[in-house]
Amino acid sequence: MVMSVAERPVEMAQRPAEMKPAWQGIDWRGRALDRAPFLVACLMLALIVAIYGSLQSGVFSLDEINLDTAAAMTLMLAATGQTIVLVRGGIDLSIGGMISLGTVIAATRFTDDPSTVAMWTLVILALGFLIGAFNGLLISLLKLQPFLVTLATWSILNGVAMIILPTDGGSVPGWWVGFGYAQLFGLTSPVWMLLALLLFWWWFRATRVGVTIQATGSNEKSAFLSGVSITRVNVITYGLSGLFAAGAALYLTTQTGAGSPTIGKDYILPSVAAAVIGGVSLFGGRGHLAGTLIGAFVLTLIGNLVFVLHVSSYWQPVASGVILLLSVLASSVAEKAARNRVQ
Amino acid sequence: MDLVTVKGLSKRYGGIVALSEATFSARAGEVHALLGENGAGKSTFIQILSGAVRHDGGSILVDGQDYRPANPDAAQARGIAAVFQELSLIPDLSVEQNIWFRHEPRTFLRTVNRTEMRRKTLALLDKYNFPSLRPEQELRRLTLAERQIVEIAKGLAKDPRILILDEATSALPAREAEWLLKLTRQLAAEGRLVIFISHRMAEVRAIADRLTIFRNGSTIAVHEANAVSDNEIVTQMIGRHLDRLYPERIATATDRIALSVKGFSSGSRLSGVDFALREGEVLGVGGLQGHGQRELFQSLFGASKASGTVELWGKPVSIGNPRQALTGKDGIALVPEDRRGQGLLLTKSVRENLTLSVIKRFTENGLLSRQKEAALVKEMVDFLRIKAGTPEQLAGTLSGGNQQKVIFGKMLLTQARVLLLYDPTRGVDVGTKGEIFQLMRDLAAKGYAILFHSSDMPELVHVADRVLVMRNGGIAATLEGDRISEASILRAAMLESEAA
Repeated sequence: MVMSVAERPVEMAQRPAEMKPAWQGIDWRGRALDRAPFLVACLMLALIVAIYGSLQSGVFSLDEINLDTAAAMTLMLAATGQTIVLVRGGIDLSIGGMISLGTVIAATRFTDDPSTVAMWTLVILALGFLIGAFNGLLISLLKLQPFLVTLATWSILNGVAMIILPTDGGSVPGWWVGFGYAQLFGLTSPVWMLLALLLFWWWFRATRVGVTIQATGSNEKSAFLSGVSITRVNVITYGLSGLFAAGAALYLTTQTGAGSPTIGKDYILPSVAAAVIGGVSLFGGRGHLAGTLIGAFVLTLIGNLVFVLHVSSYWQPVASGVILLLSVLASSVAEKAARNRVQ
Repeated sequence: MDLVTVKGLSKRYGGIVALSEATFSARAGEVHALLGENGAGKSTFIQILSGAVRHDGGSILVDGQDYRPANPDAAQARGIAAVFQELSLIPDLSVEQNIWFRHEPRTFLRTVNRTEMRRKTLALLDKYNFPSLRPEQELRRLTLAERQIVEIAKGLAKDPRILILDEATSALPAREAEWLLKLTRQLAAEGRLVIFISHRMAEVRAIADRLTIFRNGSTIAVHEANAVSDNEIVTQMIGRHLDRLYPERIATATDRIALSVKGFSSGSRLSGVDFALREGEVLGVGGLQGHGQRELFQSLFGASKASGTVELWGKPVSIGNPRQALTGKDGIALVPEDRRGQGLLLTKSVRENLTLSVIKRFTENGLLSRQKEAALVKEMVDFLRIKAGTPEQLAGTLSGGNQQKVIFGKMLLTQARVLLLYDPTRGVDVGTKGEIFQLMRDLAAKGYAILFHSSDMPELVHVADRVLVMRNGGIAATLEGDRISEASILRAAMLESEAA
């Protein structure tokens, strides 16, 4: 006869000996290797600022920080959304269309009446989130590649923007433009927005939603087996990307004072480049906004540098490309070193 | 009353029947083993129980109430957690983030409360005497065994009433496996039901109260564990009498040296390994886990760096990467440890997996010859008896044993005659294990040279012609003929460790 469960002697599981001594102590080198792409980005920024500062006077001033941040903020907003999508393991090309669409809606619908502006601002932001969410839904339900889905919606949004405003033009009220230059404690609104973005990220990546997005980008199958709804993750991820693109469009109108149906495409690839320079992995699961923002500064300051060097402005994309290559190389070398250590 | 009652459970994948009218019942407080060959329907059964897959027909009652989970969350809400063989862990999260994933304690800002999470992690690890894990360590830095332990912690973190352990011991070294077996009894004593899946009969014997045997998607028998013999169980599992698991060992080694290794070193993990593998020989590599076996295989294949001289068929070679190692008839081919991660492209077909690395062999004037490819694929599928609907079936949908056969096929198609087999029977059922051993002996008879590591010591004892015992990254002893036994391997592996 079988022993009943009660009769069977229960031995408490004894803790086995330490499996591997390598677990002891903090792995400083491993940590540094993990952050290598970010550290390289910081180094690049420092180098560019140093060269720029040696050629131009007044670089190390509050004014310069205000100016450079103002110049970089549209890219930073677009790249924030892109960073969330990249950490999820996707890509969002439609932000180009959303930015164009946002600026033309603002330039054609904003009046001097603040309540009208407030309403259309909300409409643009809501539209950004909904169009993004729609991207996410298409990707999940039809199991399509994010690249293709967002390429298609980019084209659609671009067309709609053209229909609303065929050429650059329209206008936003003067007081709206003034938002982009408002100052508090000597810092202009873009600098405050930069701080707000960092605060947002610090909070977001620590929430369950933030962790879930990262986890899904790291290994979708494992995330699913752990109970994650992939559809929900995609809707939220691409929705946020659309929302930030709409924010970028609104900010852009404070800088240009007008709308443009074609301006958005200038932010698609730079938003990816800024993230990659800052150490965000194109394969998902890894990356931080701080790196992306530094990447956006690098790309913006390269323009300044080309200007003060008095060379043709066509050198700017050449320099951006070289920097992108260097960052990709740095992360690949670090990745290999890290992998060799694991084995 | 039974905690779980399953009746007439059915599931089809396209034309393939995974489960047909399966039944199952188990009580709270018991360890219930689920046995069957790979492909018998065990995996599908536990995927349905854990909410990863939905069943087509039949009923499941949990606590007398209908149970049909829409997803893994719904299963967890009913107190059912699974420790998957195919792990559900996230590489870029830390150990503790993985354990509490989606159930993290939170602060008033709705962010993860790290202090509380750390406290709960340490409490959990302490309660069940887990081997030391560093909670902040990133998962992708851990070995397979360590990950398996994290997966177990993740299952227990949900405090489930029903815990499913799918081949949880197969990735663990001996001491950790023993810990898990005791832990399993402890969990049952706490009043939980543990559904335990293992291909190691001794483990099932040690801890199961009852066992259910599956074959071809149906339930064949339910036994009280100590009222049935091993032989009966195996016969019911494979549906025929298994004469012998291990093939006859006929010495086929010649004097020709296929692979000669001298002074092979790699950091602190390999130190001065010397050996010679002869044509027609099966050379076993044993010892306690973590003494350099993995590094030896990886380095020989060129997947990690090492110094020393390596000669293949008398010619010195430097093996820089897997592509160099693979090249041609004088090359080396590896069956890796982690077949899902390293050996197979799960989302590609059987055909593509087989021919990917040998695409040159059926290229004519720069064009692929589909006929040639189809002929080669058919030859391999027939030779290895791979059970697939068509060669276009995705590798990920095959059973574990058949996946392993595809890897063997892939390796044989490279035409390399020096084969490195790293734990080729891990997670493979008894019937397929027998086939693999027979295949190894057949290949040796044809003049292949085989280096063979197994974490299951009897396999080395019964299949290898000679056994190298590794200790601290070097060869501690070479055993031959009658001197090969589990006791002699253990003695050589542990002698110095004991003294230290």
